Amino acid sequence: MKTMRERWSKISRALHFRSGLNDDLSDEMQAHLDLMTTENMERGMTPDEARAAARRQFGNLTRTQENAREAWQFPRLETILQDIRYALRGIRKSPSFSLIVILTLALGIGANTAIFSVVYSVLLRPLPYPHGERLVWLGESTAKAEGISITWINFEHWRHDSDSFENMAAFNGTDLTLTGRGDAVLTHDWLVTSSFFQLTGAKPALGRFFAEGDDKLGAAPTAVATAECWQRRLGGDPNIVGESVVLDGMPYQIIGVLNPGFQFLTRSVDFYLPLGRAAGASHKRSDHGSMRAVGLLKPGTTMTQARTNLDAIMERLALSDPGPEDDHRAYAAYFTEVMAGDVRPTLVVLMGAVGLVLIIACANVASLLLVRSRARAREIAIRVAIGAGRTRLVRQLLTENLVIAAIGGVFGLLLAGWCLRMLILIGPRDIPRLSEATLDLPVLLFAAVISVAVGLLAAVAPVLNAGKVDLTTALKEGSPTSGTCKRGQAFRSTLVIAEIAITLMLAFASGLLVRSLIAAQHADPGFDPRHLLAIELQLPESRYKSDDSVRQYYGQLSQSLRAEPGVEDVGLVMCPPGAGDCGDYWYSILEKPTPARDDVPLSLFNRVDANYFRVARVRLIAGRNFNDSDRAGGSRVTLINEQLSHQEWSDPRLALGQHLKVGGPYVEGPTIEIVGVVANVSQMGLDGEPMPTFYYPFSQKPDSAMVVTMRTTGDPAQSMNAARRQVAALDRNVPIQSLRTAEDWLGATLKRRRFATLLLGVFGVLAIILAAVGIYGVLNYWVGARQREIAIRLAVGACPSTILRWAALHAAGLAAFGIVLGAIGAWSASRWLQSLVFGVKADSPIMMLLAGVVVLAIAALAASVPVLRAMHTDAVRNLHEA
Amino acid sequence: MSTVDDPRKSLEFLQGTLEVLILRCLQAAPNHAYGVSQYLEHQSEYEFLVDNGSLYPALQRLLQRRWITSQWKKSPNGRRAKYYRLTPLGRRQLVAAKSKWMRFVEAMARVLAPQR
Repeated sequence: MKTMRERWSKISRALHFRSGLNDDLSDEMQAHLDLMTTENMERGMTPDEARAAARRQFGNLTRTQENAREAWQFPRLETILQDIRYALRGIRKSPSFSLIVILTLALGIGANTAIFSVVYSVLLRPLPYPHGERLVWLGESTAKAEGISITWINFEHWRHDSDSFENMAAFNGTDLTLTGRGDAVLTHDWLVTSSFFQLTGAKPALGRFFAEGDDKLGAAPTAVATAECWQRRLGGDPNIVGESVVLDGMPYQIIGVLNPGFQFLTRSVDFYLPLGRAAGASHKRSDHGSMRAVGLLKPGTTMTQARTNLDAIMERLALSDPGPEDDHRAYAAYFTEVMAGDVRPTLVVLMGAVGLVLIIACANVASLLLVRSRARAREIAIRVAIGAGRTRLVRQLLTENLVIAAIGGVFGLLLAGWCLRMLILIGPRDIPRLSEATLDLPVLLFAAVISVAVGLLAAVAPVLNAGKVDLTTALKEGSPTSGTCKRGQAFRSTLVIAEIAITLMLAFASGLLVRSLIAAQHADPGFDPRHLLAIELQLPESRYKSDDSVRQYYGQLSQSLRAEPGVEDVGLVMCPPGAGDCGDYWYSILEKPTPARDDVPLSLFNRVDANYFRVARVRLIAGRNFNDSDRAGGSRVTLINEQLSHQEWSDPRLALGQHLKVGGPYVEGPTIEIVGVVANVSQMGLDGEPMPTFYYPFSQKPDSAMVVTMRTTGDPAQSMNAARRQVAALDRNVPIQSLRTAEDWLGATLKRRRFATLLLGVFGVLAIILAAVGIYGVLNYWVGARQREIAIRLAVGACPSTILRWAALHAAGLAAFGIVLGAIGAWSASRWLQSLVFGVKADSPIMMLLAGVVVLAIAALAASVPVLRAMHTDAVRNLHEA
Repeated sequence: MSTVDDPRKSLEFLQGTLEVLILRCLQAAPNHAYGVSQYLEHQSEYEFLVDNGSLYPALQRLLQRRWITSQWKKSPNGRRAKYYRLTPLGRRQLVAAKSKWMRFVEAMARVLAPQR
């Protein structure tokens, strides 16, 4: 210990380069005193008198020296070091107190840091592209929908005419079948313009990227492979550049391989192909596919300027090249925001919740420090008495708190690192960039900032108190608890009220989410997902060009699967429940008044065969199902879902026989007769809102990408092998995209909700524990401070039950106040939860009542120990000790 | 203001005045801290009472701004003391500050005791 202290003092002396100044100052002051002493002696005083008089005349030597030193505006390094040393000594001296404080802080800071690193990674971190912060996602907008696909012609005009962007690139996802290299595999590819790689800053590992010439209509087909595809599918061949791959029957020359690790959106990609080669043939402004674009804003250009600029181009085009979409405008949003998408509200709520936990932790620490500062009133009084200035005292108390907060912060970081690994492990895959969350510099800064903030905040009360120490009382009265001032008590009560209020808010929010999760899990999906297997297929277009070949393939597959033992029935659907939005389009009803151009309604569309609704057990509400008479070339028919029917008619039966115009009155499209109405299914997931949908019969509108659903008699997993076998037997060039049970498919839609609910639940429990500790601590102190008063009251004849009532009333008052405040807070905050709540109202009074009861019970439990302690005060012993 | 100033109490230094007065004192001759305080008290006819707690920090501030320098020397009565002397920079500073304070004093006087 000794050697350590020596080393420490050496370090501090090395740091404290002004010890020379110190010595010089004291020499100078000594000389000053000597001069005065000499003069005094010349006036006839004795040497002792003269010296004493000189000291008196000079004033406070030490203070003068300190002030003089501080005139040099160096950081007061040595005082800070001294304070830190003192603080560390204090921490060592009361280990249990320090442990509780540090642990509380570590919990609060750790949880906040972990969540912040997720928020930072998902919402805030610039994208890993050059100037990622200026990258903008571009699409078109209509009065009804924002960010729909851009057409090639519009994109070309934007790229050439806009002066808000440095560069622009369009991209379009596609899936092509790779043949000629072992089994046929379905590859995921991006069609991109040649500017794409400049914009995203990608570098080739081999060969080159597309030149403008490769990106033109009629150019020879070329391809760039990703590093992963090159390794997995092309055998890592170093001479691959110049060779060909066959995609959907067409040979593409490989011109380059990307560096490993390059990623665009969350999709895993095999090949990049030039977009303009095919899209360049487009000649209509309304020729929509699913193309989107990214643009790089010029530095200093605002989003509003860019939007105005693109809108002006669209307005000009509407005049020079009029068409059905003259009302379309541009959609532009920062890429980071678009990437985060609908995760934002969830993360905002989680960040808010974890922030509230931090406030509770902070309140606990503040109340603990306050108790300790009262216990230290005597020490502080002595220091004031021997000349410590108020600022000096405050600085020292602050340093002590900051040291404790820093230690808490370090432990918090360790905890955060651990929590983060858990979060990434259990977090749903579809949260973009979640897996990239690490404790990097901005996160460390955040942790440091909240540690300092917590240290300062928790120190406010003790520091304010320290300045107000009443010297005489503090020095006279020996007992540390005798100096309870009214103000300190009021402050502690406020802390308890705040803790209860915040806990109620968190309990309410987690209750709502848990209730929503239960509701979602038990939501009626509109079909029977048990014993239902789904095979997702995509027929390679090169082999299945005609509708007839597609119909024939699926017909044969259905038949052979139906013949398998354990398979009851087989049906086809393009977009199974839980798969989300596979496409929407305008529609209108011919028999109803024509809607205005801006009011044409949108509906999802889907394709099913005649068996599907029976296989999936979707209830038919009115009319008939599709049947074999709905043939290609026959009169065109459709089934609509309950939601669409409800949107248009008061009774589903009224819909029958009416005609649906696909595309609405202003866009070309077929007119089809409504022959039936079916129940809603959970298309957007179990917790999704029902969306209007119309169904085409597969026979009249086949699609190469279908999901084959099989109703099995036993465990559907047992039929998986049969399914694989039959698909391979029919055509081994058809890859299976996915094979899973409908329950898996649906359950996956709740992953994100489970994640959010779990986290909020953990925060709720954490808040309750911390608040219970806080309530216990404050009430215990309250009783402790009144021990003598209680003893006297008992001694003069009060019943213990009176004491009990008195203490319990005090506790109940605090709890009631907190609960009322918390209820108001929870109610006003409930709109933030709106987007996360399902099957229950965000301001549900029952949930509020439940949360209130839980919090009250916890508060009562925490308060019971100190309150009972008050009742069992041993009057005689207590008074004797006094 | 209901109370009238008590002439028995010495004046407090206004913000920034002590530094100027120190410079003025050192313009007369280099001096040590005690000498400076005596000079100021004597020159102000004991209206100013110089507190060492203010004097020393003020000297340090002037050193820091390089308006004065210090040196240990023997005093006339043979004792060692730290002497402060004005630098050229300090001299220029004094000229500027002096005219500013004179204007200030005259302006104060014109407002407080206008000569009708």
